[in-house]
Amino acid sequence: MRGLFQNKPFVIMLIAIVLLGILAFATSGERSVTWLESTVGTVVQPVQTFASKASNEIIGFVQRIFKTTDADKALEQLSVRLAQLETVEEENERLRAENERLKALLNYSEISSDYTLVTASVIGNSQGIWFDVFTINAGRNKGIETDMPVVNADGLIGRVTEVGATWSKVTAIIDSGTEVSVMVERTRDIGLSRGTLDTGEVHMLELYFLASGYDLVPGDVITTNGMGSVYPRGITVGTVTEVSRSSDASTSRNAVIQPSVDFSHLEEVMVITGTEAEEGEE
Amino acid sequence: MRRMILPVMILIGIYLDSILFCRLNIGGIRPDTLMAVAVSAGVLLGSMKGGLLGLGLGLFMDVLFGKFIGLSAISYMAAGMVGGLFFQKFFADNVIVPAAVAAAGALLKEHVMMLAVALNGGTFSYGAMLGGYVLPCMLMTLALEMPVHVLLKRGLARQVHAEHRSGRA
Repeated sequence: MRGLFQNKPFVIMLIAIVLLGILAFATSGERSVTWLESTVGTVVQPVQTFASKASNEIIGFVQRIFKTTDADKALEQLSVRLAQLETVEEENERLRAENERLKALLNYSEISSDYTLVTASVIGNSQGIWFDVFTINAGRNKGIETDMPVVNADGLIGRVTEVGATWSKVTAIIDSGTEVSVMVERTRDIGLSRGTLDTGEVHMLELYFLASGYDLVPGDVITTNGMGSVYPRGITVGTVTEVSRSSDASTSRNAVIQPSVDFSHLEEVMVITGTEAEEGEE
Repeated sequence: MRRMILPVMILIGIYLDSILFCRLNIGGIRPDTLMAVAVSAGVLLGSMKGGLLGLGLGLFMDVLFGKFIGLSAISYMAAGMVGGLFFQKFFADNVIVPAAVAAAGALLKEHVMMLAVALNGGTFSYGAMLGGYVLPCMLMTLALEMPVHVLLKRGLARQVHAEHRSGRA
């Protein structure tokens, strides 16, 4: 054992692990980004934005391989011209899809005229399934601050947790450590949604703390209730897919919610930087 | 050109781990490219260089994409240093040892993350996560480590040779 502690690399590793553990603990709470983190992010952000956009092409290519039948492959080999046309068509399809997404965002921003919105692209995600955190290409340069809500045309995505000069980190509502104060739109019952840890592409939320004797059915729409200072009232969170009946309602979940946002395919998001009323006051 | 292999592999690893594998995976299961790079660097260049590279890569990923700073860094650094324990201690063509170290590193990393989630209030079934996510990810990292190690070994051949000579002297 003594020999082990005389091994210099081992001792250095041990000390580094302890220090990194302390660092991880220290950064687990609310904090502001240091200048070093902000600079690193600012330098990397344009590259990440480009790489993120390029990956859509790669994903499209892989999907084409798996979706193409043998007949299509033979046809492609026989006709170069057809292949070129297909490429053009696919490019058009991609542009059409992008156009639709942007139109949906634009439509949402027109409908939600109460809010001041900043549009941003997702440029990176946390590794693995443990945390649902992603990075966007808008930061202090676009007026982003911590705790600002992030949405898209489908509903609530999460909140900004760290802000750099040209980038921000967003913690999604499906993150297992995230809770959102919500209400059932039909009955106005108030509860709390919490992210779950799921393997695979299915992301679910759990609903807790509804008043006893709650009236809830699958299909009920869950929205934010505006309590707390982070999320404005009335943003769609999801739809109830499964209702649980338990004698001890305070500790067990009341329902499972399917989020309205498709978290597996997030590309553009909008950050609510303020309300029209706030701007009017200024 | 060969000198660029390590920086190129690191850039590819960052791209794969932060963008592509987040969107293109099998039910959330994906390999850890940077873990493979850190382990190979450790095995080929020694504990100190492997550990430092792992630490740098981990901190970079934590700062830009992680929820807590230091979590990935712990695992990458430990894997790089453990890889260095096999520096000059096995036949150069052996890819089993680096693959096994990468698998152990992936296992460590997922457990560190799991612990952080548990401490952060997340609830999950350990058995389900181990069988449904951690072990498949570990196997994918193990499989990925083999080509990564072969590529890095070729690219770093001159540097590895120099390290061997200094090691003998």
